[in-house]
Amino acid sequence: MLRDLKAIVSKEVKELVRDPRILLGMIIVPVIMFPIMGAVMHSVFIQVQESIKEVKVGVADFDHGNWSRVLIENLTNLGANIIEISATDEIQAIQQMQASNLTDLIVIPEGFSQNITQGKKARLKTYSIYTGSGMVESARSEAINSLIEAVKRGWSPDPFTVSENSIVKGKPLPVPPSTLFNLAMSQQIVTPIAIAIIIVMAMQLAATSVASEKEEKTLETLLSLPINRFTILMGKLFGSIIVALIGAIAYLIGFIYYMGSIFTLVPTEIGVDLVELGLAPSPVGYVLMGISLFVSLLSALALAVVISAFTEDVRSAQAIVGYIYPVIFIPMFLLMYLDVFSLSLPLQILILAIPYSHPILAAKAAVTGNHLIAIGGIIYVSIFTVAILYIAAKFFATEKILTARIKLKKLRKPKEKVT
Amino acid sequence: MAAVEVDDLVKVFGSIRALEGLSFRVEDGEIYGLIGPNGAGKTTALRIIATLLLPTSGRVEVFGLNVVEKADEVRKIISYLPEEAGAYKNLSGIEYLRFMASFNAESKDEAEAMVRDAVKISGLGERLHDRIKTYSKGMKRRLLVARALMTKPKLAILDEPTSGLDVVHSFYVRSIIKNYVKEFGVTVLLSSHNMLEVEYLCDKVALIHKGKIVAEGRPEELKTEYKAENLEEVFIKVTSYA
Ligand SMILES: Nc1ncnc2c1ncn2[C@@H]1O[C@H](COP(=O)(O)OP(=O)(O)O)[C@@H](O)[C@H]1O
Ligand SMILES: [Mg+2]
Repeated sequence: MLRDLKAIVSKEVKELVRDPRILLGMIIVPVIMFPIMGAVMHSVFIQVQESIKEVKVGVADFDHGNWSRVLIENLTNLGANIIEISATDEIQAIQQMQASNLTDLIVIPEGFSQNITQGKKARLKTYSIYTGSGMVESARSEAINSLIEAVKRGWSPDPFTVSENSIVKGKPLPVPPSTLFNLAMSQQIVTPIAIAIIIVMAMQLAATSVASEKEEKTLETLLSLPINRFTILMGKLFGSIIVALIGAIAYLIGFIYYMGSIFTLVPTEIGVDLVELGLAPSPVGYVLMGISLFVSLLSALALAVVISAFTEDVRSAQAIVGYIYPVIFIPMFLLMYLDVFSLSLPLQILILAIPYSHPILAAKAAVTGNHLIAIGGIIYVSIFTVAILYIAAKFFATEKILTARIKLKKLRKPKEKVT
Repeated sequence: MAAVEVDDLVKVFGSIRALEGLSFRVEDGEIYGLIGPNGAGKTTALRIIATLLLPTSGRVEVFGLNVVEKADEVRKIISYLPEEAGAYKNLSGIEYLRFMASFNAESKDEAEAMVRDAVKISGLGERLHDRIKTYSKGMKRRLLVARALMTKPKLAILDEPTSGLDVVHSFYVRSIIKNYVKEFGVTVLLSSHNMLEVEYLCDKVALIHKGKIVAEGRPEELKTEYKAENLEEVFIKVTSYA
């Protein structure tokens, strides 16, 4: 029995390891992808560390009491670089803080010391500028929070509460920056993943459909009919698009539900317009994102159709189309954590040259309101798509559509089968 | 006018010479059989006649239309059944027939008439409403042959229409071809590596070997000429001389 088991296991391993899809998905992709992601994350963390090495924070003291003095001293002793701001009220303090290029402000309200002395709960307010630039910003405000927490622990149990506020586009907002950061992150992560899944799904569909027409010889039958070959190509493309869009709608419903539950984190009664503050996509942004996704989908499908038309069977087509996936996933991961324009020029060009980066960029631009990025991407991807369609049409018009026969087994061991 | 005229046809795939100067002529209304072993070049020849491949050199005409220059017009008057062809697995037989009819028919009524004919020819009855993936190989072939004939093409090109079928289904497919052709005057060019069935089915046959015709004529004539019992023997004799 053990011998049989061994035989089956060894056959199974051989069969699987030799399957190009498994080879790609389980070995090649992780080996390439994780080091790249690692390098990216490393550089992000270095930036984060640099930024919190020295915590520079403005303090507006409206209390001028003993406890406010102690608080400032304690913070200084813990290594914070305190810049005192003298202002007549909170609004002025916020303006001055921004004018002196500070990113964080601690406000000690009047009566702070008195409350503590009388054993009442005192209040402290923090303001952090939120620009949505990513992890560095969020790490900075977290660093200030932990300093305040450290001071608090040294005093009597729970002497004061801290209310965290954000400043978005110069406007104070009674929401902690971490909430805004989580909101942005979830948009930045979920949207690219959804986009990548839609593109991959559509390519898989198109490749399977073309290759199975080849395998079953139904394509050969179609080509012998009095039908324009460009019509056949377009029929394939639009068929796959419709099915992919049905899938996309399912994703979208899930996604909207997800976003809805995230947005409830921001209290609605404070009456802030997230779109205006640049924290949620605007209608124009949504439309551009949709167009961008559509043209990218079209280009991905055209590519899948051309590639799979060269293959001989469904398996080979799926495997060969699979070689494109890293090209889709690597920019996706990069763009989740990084601003493309902060990268080195060659990397920037590389990422912008990949058409599948553009719907992800458009999704980001939909939030930031930088529509030119989305429009530029749409134009670029459209040109790319037309070029691919042109090649596809040329290819469909020749006999190559029938005689090209890439078979993965044959790639390794060329051997002509006579039929 | 000949239904098919092939003159000194050569087809080269890279280093493989699939056809080496093939010439033959099919008369209007004939059932003409190309017979030869696997790899002889039958499929290649039929694909060129069906406008799917381009000849490397030589001339091919279908009812006087050049298959290279007038490919679009040729496609309107032919019907082609590829070797080992399949159909869309998730469509029902009837949906498949309607889909295919829509490309040849000028009107909805004409398409429906074609489908009605195909239903009759295929003899599949109620099973036509089931998905094609539930069909046996024989049923699928009956559907595809019916599809090829329902448009009443001037020329039907059938590549190994009975290969791989059991006795019952081969017999059925052969009788479809024979009866239908008589009824509608369709010209049929078919290929086979089963020399015995061709003897029964075809008015005229060409024996093809390594991309060339090695003998041609009516089955009876060939048998007499080579003093053979059947076409298989003729083929063995011809190729050993060649
Ligand atoms: N697309 C192709 N590419 C390369 N060689 C081919 C191709 N199609 C057919 N051949 C070769 O041409 C020869 C004739 O094949 P084919 O016409 O299929 O023969 P048959 O149909 O008589 O079995 C064979 O040697 C075959 O391998
Ligand atoms: Mg063949």
